Amino acid sequence: MNNIINIDPLHLGAGYLLLLLPLGLLLWLRVPILGQTLTAVLRMTLQLLFVGFYLQFIFDLNNHWLTGAWVLVMVGVADFSIIRGCRLRLRRVWLPVFVALVLGTVVPLLYFILLILGGEKAMHAQYLIPISGLILGNCLRADIIGLRTFYTNLKTSEKNFELTLAQGASLYEASRPYIREACEAALAPNLATISTVGLVSLPGVMTGVILGGGNPMVAIKYQIAIMIAIFSGTAITVISALHLCIRNNFLDGGILDPEVFSVKLGNKRIKS
Amino acid sequence: MNEAALQIQHLELSFGDQNLFHDFNLRLETGEKITLVGPSGCGKSTLLRCILGFVMPDAGDIRVFGEPLTPASAWTLRPRMAYVPQEPELGSGSVRAAIENIFSYRSNRHLQGNLERVPELLERLLLHTGILDKQTSDISGGEKQRIALLLALLLDREILLFDEVTSALDARAKEAVIQMLIDLKSVSMLGIAHDQEWLSFADRVVDMAEAKEAVI
Repeated sequence: MNNIINIDPLHLGAGYLLLLLPLGLLLWLRVPILGQTLTAVLRMTLQLLFVGFYLQFIFDLNNHWLTGAWVLVMVGVADFSIIRGCRLRLRRVWLPVFVALVLGTVVPLLYFILLILGGEKAMHAQYLIPISGLILGNCLRADIIGLRTFYTNLKTSEKNFELTLAQGASLYEASRPYIREACEAALAPNLATISTVGLVSLPGVMTGVILGGGNPMVAIKYQIAIMIAIFSGTAITVISALHLCIRNNFLDGGILDPEVFSVKLGNKRIKS
Repeated sequence: MNEAALQIQHLELSFGDQNLFHDFNLRLETGEKITLVGPSGCGKSTLLRCILGFVMPDAGDIRVFGEPLTPASAWTLRPRMAYVPQEPELGSGSVRAAIENIFSYRSNRHLQGNLERVPELLERLLLHTGILDKQTSDISGGEKQRIALLLALLLDREILLFDEVTSALDARAKEAVIQMLIDLKSVSMLGIAHDQEWLSFADRVVDMAEAKEAVI
């Protein structure tokens, strides 16, 4: 890591000047996202500053409890983002999504740390936090796509869903085609990334290892392991989230509870 | 008095400020065929959805073969009924897959032998067996209605609930469907329709607008 070129604050500050070009173009074209862009850049800076200081503190302490607590905080933030992104009611889905995120993050994380990296060093916060962050970030994206696809399709095919129930299907049997579609949609971006990795772009972990002074062969080993962990994590979290949500998001008669949505999606009950 | 296949008593249901059912009553005897008529929006389709447990009434009582319909009992009562909507969706894939799919449900697995009746039923519904290999997206609305009807008949249910199931059929196909239903002597039927054929074949025609006013 000592080989890495450090960026001094003055140069980093100068880096912001690069933004003048896209901002100028946006202003010239009157694309109405100027304020949004500035807010996003400011948020990004503040969040990363906070995380930088905090991670330094956690890495120095290297306390397993503190590391675990930080991972749980990250899961909690992801949980809220997913629920907000899917326009679902917090009190109805926060627990199933939280459990699904923990499963999707912790299972591949432990596999990666204990089996692939191995050794005492791998349990260091310096490994645990970035790897869990990478897995969790992908789980978040996959859960948003998966849950949104599931609920949207279910809502638009409400009559077909009822017909399936009327034909004798159980709730799970009737939901199966929607689970399948949701999983496919949620995992498709990850599959596309896996199949084009290295050709379209150099992925983050690989770039990080190379910038940190590692040789490319070390970098690709990390990248392969992390991509497998990410894919496993996203599959675990999406499948768990859908199954756990099904358990408490339907009314007793098998109809999707409209109270699950944070926005009104029409009449509670359809008239003839 | 014998136990009715279906008994609805003092049904109350409203959506917002619209009162859809007020003290609505209906009795369907075993083997009886009732055709429901009435202007659109009077609650015909909603009534079928109430019977299937998809809409829970505000008050009143629905009994299927004497057993009260509740959100919990709907799961055990639905397998005694079959429902065919006006515009059935058969999912993606082939017609054959759509037919076989309903027998993959745990509650229908014991009926898998009924698949042998498919060619005979197709013939009676004036459908060619070649339709089985077509994609569900490639068949017409009338064909979809008849395949959905075929699914309902394969399930051997005691009560059939139909929502304008012959609306997309020509006169000949409509006649074939009605003849088939007439032959199901022991099956109780509650169908929404406006065609003359349905009105003359039914044991009883219930005008929903009038029924809401009086106890049947």
